[in-house]
Amino acid sequence: MNNNKYKILLVEDEENILNFITALLEANDYQVISAKSYANAKIMYASHVPDLVILDLGLPDKDGSTLLKEIRATELTPVIVLSARNEEREKVKLLDMGANDYVTKPFGSDELLARVRTALRNSRHSTNKGHLPGGKFAVGELTIDYDARQVFIAGEEIKLTQTEYNIVAFLSENCEKMMTYAAIIKAVWREYPSDAGIKKLQVNMANIRKKFGVRLGESSYITNELGVGYRMNGDK
Amino acid sequence: MHPTTKKRITDAALTVLILAASFGISLLFQKFSVWEQITTLFAFSVFLISLVTDGYLYGAVSAILSVLIINHAFTYPYFDTDFSAPSSIISAIIMLVISILTSAFTTKMKEWQRVEAESEKERMRANLLRAVSHDLRTPLTTIYGASSSIVTNYDKLSDAQRMQMAKGIREDSEWLIRMVENLLSITRIDSGTVQLIKTPTVLDELIDSVILKFKKRYPDQRVELDIPDGVVFIPMDAILIEQVLLNILENAIHHAKGFTRLALKVFVIDQKAIFEIADDGCGIPAEKLDRIFLGYSDKAESTADTQSRNAGIGLSVCATIVKAHGGDITAENAKSGGAVFRFVLTTEEVSNE
Repeated sequence: MNNNKYKILLVEDEENILNFITALLEANDYQVISAKSYANAKIMYASHVPDLVILDLGLPDKDGSTLLKEIRATELTPVIVLSARNEEREKVKLLDMGANDYVTKPFGSDELLARVRTALRNSRHSTNKGHLPGGKFAVGELTIDYDARQVFIAGEEIKLTQTEYNIVAFLSENCEKMMTYAAIIKAVWREYPSDAGIKKLQVNMANIRKKFGVRLGESSYITNELGVGYRMNGDK
Repeated sequence: MHPTTKKRITDAALTVLILAASFGISLLFQKFSVWEQITTLFAFSVFLISLVTDGYLYGAVSAILSVLIINHAFTYPYFDTDFSAPSSIISAIIMLVISILTSAFTTKMKEWQRVEAESEKERMRANLLRAVSHDLRTPLTTIYGASSSIVTNYDKLSDAQRMQMAKGIREDSEWLIRMVENLLSITRIDSGTVQLIKTPTVLDELIDSVILKFKKRYPDQRVELDIPDGVVFIPMDAILIEQVLLNILENAIHHAKGFTRLALKVFVIDQKAIFEIADDGCGIPAEKLDRIFLGYSDKAESTADTQSRNAGIGLSVCATIVKAHGGDITAENAKSGGAVFRFVLTTEEVSNE
């Protein structure tokens, strides 16, 4: 038996959902440990030290976000949250609490597997997706030279303002992770996030899109999620 | 400030303003010696006040004030109160009657409008519920039937048959998911009397998100885009407006028979963002045009046609969402053929740093 598998702690109280996710993950060569309650999940987490946690929020004894908070207090183990609630504010809250990703029920098997792979990749390798030795970043035709503070697409330099560069650089440093408006504003402007701050960010993003020559609806380097934030994609 | 307090303050301000205006005009009348019209003028202002304010209070107070003003300032002896003349008593009674009747009438009107709006909402909800419960049966039949066949006859079924059933389950679940998304949109609006939470949304980002989702569902269908340059902020519940655009685009896929192009155009005129979705398909049959947003179609024609399920619901959800944003949605046939859907939202000032 192969003992070199990633260990995933699956916290979900619905038997049927638990069964199909377990089958799906095992079929894709992951080792699955499951828990049906907050209390049980806490014990499992401490004794098995998983590589990844898939966490349902509606647990019978306590809200799943409590466990997220407790894990984040001391550890960086990636956590993917499962929730039936699809509200922007809920997503923002959980992402800002430290969730690596947020999957809304119902979801397809491809979607969940893709999120699991991304979360594991980003946590397990010191050089994140796209990061090259020598202070460079590359995804598709996009390259960033962090020392020279320059951005290129297909070898052509894209002239960005300082702020625009800072936004692109910050997103690339957190490649494949959805960064909330608040997180970006804090990092780029060192300001407390406000409505005016979000607008300022959105205007800058519009300029970046224009300079990158993005056509709407075509998968590009930066994905926007309405009311939540932006994500630099690892695969173009 | 509490809305009723605010309304009370505006009502009081209006009362004072109208009375002051009539007083001013009466002074002019007096100067040109057209006495007879002064009483008529105040009667008219009492009528106006009763019409624009809520309840009986402001009308009644202004009626009494008017009589006092006329008696004091505009009847002999001028600027002296004298109630001995019977004419002032008569005009006082007439003005009070005017004010009470007008107030009663406007109050009734407002009540009637409220009831009308309420029953319109009820009607929409009932239609929706009827359409939904009918439309839910079909996919549930596939899901329940196929899955129970797999469970009970697992060994008797061939691999190919099991695969086919599983695919059927997946397909109809996807359809159910979209239906539930639509219903959730409605509950997002209907949850209590809570106002929509509108956030300024960048038009580009909205369109980008819509087209990405649409492409995921229909990878082969191109959508021609025509969007204004510059950053346009539109206050909206973005998840809901996204649903509106997706529903209209998807409606074209299912109903615009023979269409070759699908176009989404947005233009901004005077703080209004006009969204226009056009196809060059078969157009909307004239007999359906005026009921297209009502949430149901005639059962007789739709039962056999599984393609048309979800149709009415999607568009009626669109209408509900756009109305909740204070906008308007229309459908028409273009002269050149094909259907055009249009809705309007209010923008914010265009800001460009």
